[in-house]
Amino acid sequence: MAIVAAERSYRGGRYRARSLGSRVVLYGLIVVVALWLVGPFVWLFVTSVSYQRNLLARPLALIPPEVTVDNYKMILGLIRFHAEGQASKILPSMLNSLIVALLVTALNLAIGTTAGYAYARFRFPLKTLSLFALLFTRMLPTVVLIPAFFLMLRAAGLQNTLTGLVVAYCSFTLPFTVWIMKAYFETVPAELDKSALVDGCNRFQAYAHIVLPVSGPGLMAGGAFTFMLCWNEFIVAQVLNTKPGTTTLPPVIAGMNGQINIDYSVIAASGFLGALPAVLLVLIFQKYLVQGLTAGSVKG
Amino acid sequence: MAEARFAVFLVLPTLVAIFVVVLFPLAYSLWLSFTDVNLLRTTGPAIELFGVRVPLFRWIGVANYVRILDDPLYWSSLWRTLYFVGAFVLEATVVGMGMALVLHERFHGRPLLRSLLLVPWSLSRVVVGLLWIGILDFEFGVLNGVLTRVGVIDHYISFLRDGFTALNVLVSVYMWNQAPFASLLFLAGLQSISLDLYSAAEVDGAGYWQRFRYVTLPALRPIVFLVLVLATVNGFLMLDLIYVLTMGGPGNDTTTLSWLGFQTTFAYFKFGPGTAILYTLTALCLLLTFVYHRLILASFEPEA
Repeated sequence: MAIVAAERSYRGGRYRARSLGSRVVLYGLIVVVALWLVGPFVWLFVTSVSYQRNLLARPLALIPPEVTVDNYKMILGLIRFHAEGQASKILPSMLNSLIVALLVTALNLAIGTTAGYAYARFRFPLKTLSLFALLFTRMLPTVVLIPAFFLMLRAAGLQNTLTGLVVAYCSFTLPFTVWIMKAYFETVPAELDKSALVDGCNRFQAYAHIVLPVSGPGLMAGGAFTFMLCWNEFIVAQVLNTKPGTTTLPPVIAGMNGQINIDYSVIAASGFLGALPAVLLVLIFQKYLVQGLTAGSVKG
Repeated sequence: MAEARFAVFLVLPTLVAIFVVVLFPLAYSLWLSFTDVNLLRTTGPAIELFGVRVPLFRWIGVANYVRILDDPLYWSSLWRTLYFVGAFVLEATVVGMGMALVLHERFHGRPLLRSLLLVPWSLSRVVVGLLWIGILDFEFGVLNGVLTRVGVIDHYISFLRDGFTALNVLVSVYMWNQAPFASLLFLAGLQSISLDLYSAAEVDGAGYWQRFRYVTLPALRPIVFLVLVLATVNGFLMLDLIYVLTMGGPGNDTTTLSWLGFQTTFAYFKFGPGTAILYTLTALCLLLTFVYHRLILASFEPEA
């Protein structure tokens, strides 16, 4: 009883009787955090709908005096301009990014999910060791693998192919997927599978027809996270796929940035366009993503 | 037994994949660091992996390591890396914790602000770099524009021209991108702390900071460990922002070990020395994970 009363008074003290001073401080901090988190991304958008001449003007206007979609038209090939060669790579590379990210996500969900299920439910030889290996992979600076990937994929004839990227991307996505799915399946009661077995399912049917259909949140977390990682990956794609037309979006955007004759406003448009799919995806799936990532991490 | 066989059937594809894309490349990279890699001569000894002939090149012992450790640039990059990782871990942890504490308070619009946490984190580092160019550039950067307007500076500053400033800019930009994830972890931890502990502390007359110091921080210890490990690994890894923002310059002032290893391998195509550099980086990284584990989790487990 005493504890309940104390908790109530604590809550009361915390939520109701917050002094004016601490309220001002709190709302001040909230504004700072909000500006810090989205200000830069909003400014990227502002620059992408501005003319470069207005960005160069002194004093700088925070609200652009002229708004234009010309920058987007240029990178989409609707307006001709002097750097259209580089800009014309954007749409094809976006398609490549999409293909790679979807394939890696599908692959991860297909095999990482079953592995996560096995780790959550069963005891089997080498379980601890292989789990440790997966955890270890997460603690590994993956950059050390890139030289090996380069030579291995070159030997396999997969350099400059999307297949090569799919293979390479599994190295940093699969351990996460297994971990997220393992944490998710641990929250699904084991009685569910047991009753399915009693009802005459075999073990695989119990998994595929009974457990998997209630695993939407876990699958969405694992899938959205994998997709985001692949969509955003830069260094591996930059190094492995150098032939024109074979690379993904981030190297193309970085390439635009490397050319001095392209206005920043045009680069900003390509950056904003490239960022949008991942940002939207993450915001749409945020509930599952946050749950999946924190459950998988806080426990692991 | 049937259960174990079914489980092995379920994990086998993943374990084979992990072997092919992580463990084998990891061992192969280690091997490469002891060889003289000549990309034009791949006909020598090789091992077969699923029908693919992976070349082994010529074994030259520790020559690559001797060579890189002899290079003053290696050592200056190492010190810069340690500074970078130290500053990044500190900034990401402190800012991540600070944002989590603000977002843990109750206020109107809290769910929205929590969603916004995901925005910097879900951007490609290429875009993160671009976007900060738009803020820091000395011709069109908005930070220069704002600082000039409020009269703090009278001419635009080039934030990336001075080496040490550029290094710190990299730290902060990377922190902008990564600290939100630390906040998510801290928030999850904060929500799991029992309110009884706070009320007991309040009965004992503890103020906000004392409650933070004696209730919140000890309860978050495992998560602090996790954040430190992830930030350390990510700090050592960071490459893409350097690529977009500084290319290791001015001079070599933002050249970290990962950038040096990357450039040695892929700009100069010296795979042997390049992988040797990256391997020393890996060793350092794992060593620090081990130290954190001993320092933070070991001293915490007896109490739990």
